[in-house]
Amino acid sequence: VRIVVALLSIVLLLAASAAPAADRVVASTLDNGLRVLLLEDHRSPIVSFQVWYRVGSRDEHRGATGIAHFLEHLMFKGTPAHGPKQFARLVEENGGQDNAFTSQDVTSYFVDIAAPKIDLVIELEADRMQNLLLDPKEINAEREVVIEERRTRTEDDPSGFLGEEVGSIAFRAHPYGSPIIGWMEDIKRITPAEIRAFYKTYYVPNNAIVVAVGDFRAPAVLEKIQKTFGRIPRAQTPPPVLAVEPTQNGERRVLVKKEAELPVVYMAWHVPNHQSNDAPALEVLSTILSGGRASRLYRDLVYQRQLALEAGGDYSYFALDPNLFWFWATPMPGQTPETLEAELAKHMERLKTEPVTDEELARAKNQIESAFVFQEDSVHRRAALLARLELIGGYAQKDSFMTKIRAVTAADLTRVAGAWFAPERRSVGVLLPKPR
Amino acid sequence: MNARAGRTRIALAAVVALAGVLGSGPAVAAPLAHREVLPNGIVLLVAERPAVPIVAVRLLTRAGAVFDPEDRAGLANLTGALLTRGTAKRTGPEIDSAIEFVGGSLEAAAGRDNLTVALSVQKKDFSLGLDLLSEVVLSPTFPAAEVTRKVAEIQAAIQRSNEDPGTLATRALSRLVYPSHPYGRPVEGTRESVARLTRDDVVKFYARQARPDATVVAVVGAVTVDEARREITARLGSWARPSDPPPSITPPTVAMTPHEETIKRELTQSTLMFGRRAVRQPEPDYFPLSVASYVLGGGSTSRLYTRVREESGLAYAVYSWVSPARYGAAFAVSAQTRTAEVPKVVVMIREELTRMTREPVSERELALAKQYLIGSFPFRLDTSSKVADFVAAIEDQGLGLDYADRYKERIGRVTVRDVQDVATKYFPPASFSLVTVGEIK
Repeated sequence: VRIVVALLSIVLLLAASAAPAADRVVASTLDNGLRVLLLEDHRSPIVSFQVWYRVGSRDEHRGATGIAHFLEHLMFKGTPAHGPKQFARLVEENGGQDNAFTSQDVTSYFVDIAAPKIDLVIELEADRMQNLLLDPKEINAEREVVIEERRTRTEDDPSGFLGEEVGSIAFRAHPYGSPIIGWMEDIKRITPAEIRAFYKTYYVPNNAIVVAVGDFRAPAVLEKIQKTFGRIPRAQTPPPVLAVEPTQNGERRVLVKKEAELPVVYMAWHVPNHQSNDAPALEVLSTILSGGRASRLYRDLVYQRQLALEAGGDYSYFALDPNLFWFWATPMPGQTPETLEAELAKHMERLKTEPVTDEELARAKNQIESAFVFQEDSVHRRAALLARLELIGGYAQKDSFMTKIRAVTAADLTRVAGAWFAPERRSVGVLLPKPR
Repeated sequence: MNARAGRTRIALAAVVALAGVLGSGPAVAAPLAHREVLPNGIVLLVAERPAVPIVAVRLLTRAGAVFDPEDRAGLANLTGALLTRGTAKRTGPEIDSAIEFVGGSLEAAAGRDNLTVALSVQKKDFSLGLDLLSEVVLSPTFPAAEVTRKVAEIQAAIQRSNEDPGTLATRALSRLVYPSHPYGRPVEGTRESVARLTRDDVVKFYARQARPDATVVAVVGAVTVDEARREITARLGSWARPSDPPPSITPPTVAMTPHEETIKRELTQSTLMFGRRAVRQPEPDYFPLSVASYVLGGGSTSRLYTRVREESGLAYAVYSWVSPARYGAAFAVSAQTRTAEVPKVVVMIREELTRMTREPVSERELALAKQYLIGSFPFRLDTSSKVADFVAAIEDQGLGLDYADRYKERIGRVTVRDVQDVATKYFPPASFSLVTVGEIK
């Protein structure tokens, strides 16, 4: 993975959460609580139809981690009306592309397809919101697939492996500390009955957002949604996540030895999310540190001093609960993780005392704003951004997001760096290569 | 972290590395782009997409790794990486700052066939973006300090990539599939070959390979044809066409001898990759082969996905794909499975390959593959960047701007018989090399 690319994509992802053009969004809430956002975009004869469930790994309990992601796999295993494989087959034979992802906060399903096929997709999605088969035989076969996925992403990937370790020491109370894919022991244990109960609890219209962007007439699509999704009864409001992560009172560390070519260093601080007035400054700070080749970490650690092969950071502005501000670095051969750890910490200390330059501040704001404009080019990304905004309180917040970003000053950055990046609030992970 | 886990969303490095830009491209009625040849030989392609105020530019020049001298593997890659690291007017950091200040991006990199410079900017910054693009193409200085720096970085990146099983498998398989052929060498070179590269090598390579009459420029987005022509001509019109003909190569046609290779790593899962030579896009077999590959391992309804993943729970990722390029093509099948089950998955893949040769595919499978390959076309062209990549690749491969329509028509004509015929030619399991990466005893 090339770090510059990864960092740019993070900028895009974050900025994608606040695009313009929401003025033409047709928004409504059905009687059963389903939130519907429709945006006509007639540039190409295509549509992106997405269903976002407000459930992710943050809704899981100890012993059943990974259940949200496991269920995501099972959403492709059929209903009485559309048997196993029918979903994929119907989408593919109509030239469409479907997929899904599970995050800490949400589970999202999308189909990008030729616009005339939108009715078919609406029927399929409404059907599997309510009528999933969840055949125990299919569940057990898919369990093995999820286990293989975990091997690929975590067991056999040094960075994935270390990231999971650091996340788990950073959180003591909040479920953000458990991996999205789940602990191996839990994936092996979770029962069909638990999955069914989870599905019944969270896959309900009053816990979902339907969003479509593309070449359609919004009133017609809304009518179709009412006739399909609208028939699904409202259910009990799913239980809220009550856990609040207590203040961290001392640095936490984990050292992992694993077969790898180069060490990896991760550093993670507890920071507030979008609900905090400090969030816009943290977003800008993240971009100044790691948004592109002119950013501080790249220019200093990768370029000028060649201490790192990669170095970057990431902030989750849109997390539903306060989450982590991550830093990482891969030392160049001959450099130690200790050096990189010290250098990352120095960058953070410098932000506490020395204001960033006007150029850095302007560049970061321009990068964030520009990423908005670019993502308007894709109906898929336009839809995803409406959903992300809706998740944190309303699709129309796009304007206020950019206004808040533009208002950030150099003094704000100094202040938030001082407020949130205390050494005792960090968790540090080091991966040391084990010789082959 | 941007942590997420998905059903099939997987960054298959191997697929990206081996797959051609075109993979399989279907059809639209309107021409994809305006095409003209500038006086110095540059082929200019323009597609107007006025709705969103951005512009994507792709400049391809024939300076890919296929032109690396045999003892200089990685030269094109190093050259590409250095292109934005200093020009007659600006240092590398100045270029980075200039483009990032406007939230744009300018990247240069070499692949197997071409060196590509990719620009993305908002319309308001089009002029600045083109200034930077033309500077890096026309007046790169390849500063000695930057060469040293980049060599160390590439060597470290190669070292790091040795912990990625997909990359290891792809590299080994390329070597087995393309013996004595430049595609058999890694684009990035080896740590040893990169150590031998000098600034002089880079300067000479770029001067020899990068020339206007071997260059395609695609401009896509909120621009008109006239504006694109004017702006490109103003900046690249002075690029002089050399008098000698552009360098070309005729890679040796050494037949592949199937081999098996194992790379031992301490992993819980093993990566299997089968591969063999196949056909390039201009050849008639390409269309039925695309259909056959889709039936076998193309999507989440394919035979391999159904049997290996859904019915047996043996893999998260199992795919097949055709990887065409200018000087050769490969067909590959890949799966990742827990180490104990490697023999079982190998047998399944071989059985499914054989079945494709012995039995006709069903009409239903054929129809689904064709409908998907044709129907998914609009999604290959739904952003300015994708359109720019697509039209530049079509031009580069000499397929013609009507390729989209032709593709649709040719895929539409593929019969059950055609599929079995290409399977008989290209799918016999004994004709494949196989690389396994993992904790193999």
